[in-house]
Amino acid sequence: MDTNNQQPPPSAAGIPPPPPGTTISAAGGGASYHHLLQQQQQQLQLFWTYQRQEIEQVNDFKNHQLPLARIKKIMKADEDVRMISAEAPILFAKACELFILELTIRSWLHAEENKRRTLQKNDIAAAITRTDIFDFLVDIVPRDEIKDEAAVLGGGMVVAPTASGVPYYYPPMGQPAGPGGMMIGRPAMDPNGVYVQPPSQAWQSVWQTSTGTGDDVSYGSGGSSGQGNLDGQG
Amino acid sequence: MADSDNDSGGHKDGGNASTREQDRFLPIANVSRIMKKALPANAKISKDAKETVQECVSEFISFITGEASDKCQREKRKTINGDDLLWAMTTLGFEDYVEPLKVYLQKYREVEGEKTTTAGRQGDKEGGGGGGGAGSGSGGAPMYGGGMVTTMGHQFSHHFS
Repeated sequence: MDTNNQQPPPSAAGIPPPPPGTTISAAGGGASYHHLLQQQQQQLQLFWTYQRQEIEQVNDFKNHQLPLARIKKIMKADEDVRMISAEAPILFAKACELFILELTIRSWLHAEENKRRTLQKNDIAAAITRTDIFDFLVDIVPRDEIKDEAAVLGGGMVVAPTASGVPYYYPPMGQPAGPGGMMIGRPAMDPNGVYVQPPSQAWQSVWQTSTGTGDDVSYGSGGSSGQGNLDGQG
Repeated sequence: MADSDNDSGGHKDGGNASTREQDRFLPIANVSRIMKKALPANAKISKDAKETVQECVSEFISFITGEASDKCQREKRKTINGDDLLWAMTTLGFEDYVEPLKVYLQKYREVEGEKTTTAGRQGDKEGGGGGGGAGSGSGGAPMYGGGMVTTMGHQFSHHFS
């Protein structure tokens, strides 16, 4: 089951950024999905740029995010591996950090598409399925998790996928003014809730700044296209 | 670059390495901490997501190491070094990782080069390594810190002998 966390009140979040004109449905159609992909690419490009800058300033090789002994043990689990230079686990400590960050960013996109605040196993399964360089991980996630991903991808064509355990909610944009108005009001809070949070990490700060900008642009375009598609299908 | 393992050391380590369940993965606390850096502040991570990423990271290490090991065998070399890992990442599609990691490795070698050039007594080097390990240990779980001390001492000892 999804664990929905209460949104923080806007008043407690300082100065809220101007809300985007429209909000796209998570699985509103091909156009919305492509815009999400575009948004993801922007986030990842910024991520890599940030990593290069951060690594340029590294001068301490004793404090690692990951224990070298454990990395070495995992490397040596392969019987063909005989000797490992001192630099190898240190390099892997940084490589694994990059890997975890990239996998988590790609997974979070899937959680956002499903309007969740908690990253779940099926989000990671989705990221693995969508990313070519993660093909070697396919066996790690069970097939039922991947089926959920198939449901998501099919969301653009099938309005109400039932195979997946994750419910999707499609605001009836373009319908009578009353429900439409309510829908516009409700989704608008999510971006505010997400992007006005004060970041505790340098990367989060950069990431959120980028996300805010990207979302504003993507949401506008995506919303327009998405709604058009939905109306056509309806 | 000097090997961190000599023949006997490598064999002993190989012999002693029992693949206990918890040793197959990196600590979940460390993995979780890194994951949080990629998420908005109010995001949460389910336990099964953390455990899945733990498995993915181990698979990533084995995947890259296997490719690097194959290359070393083809070239009749015994020791996997940083360049072998970078080559393996390029071969396996992780080009984005190689550019920042090249810089990282270069910087590491510069720092190590300085240490080698200004090498003091053996005791000093080992002490330095131990200190670093202790620092890392205090930041995380004590048992892991202890492990790091042992490993770092071992590596530095062989590296500079």
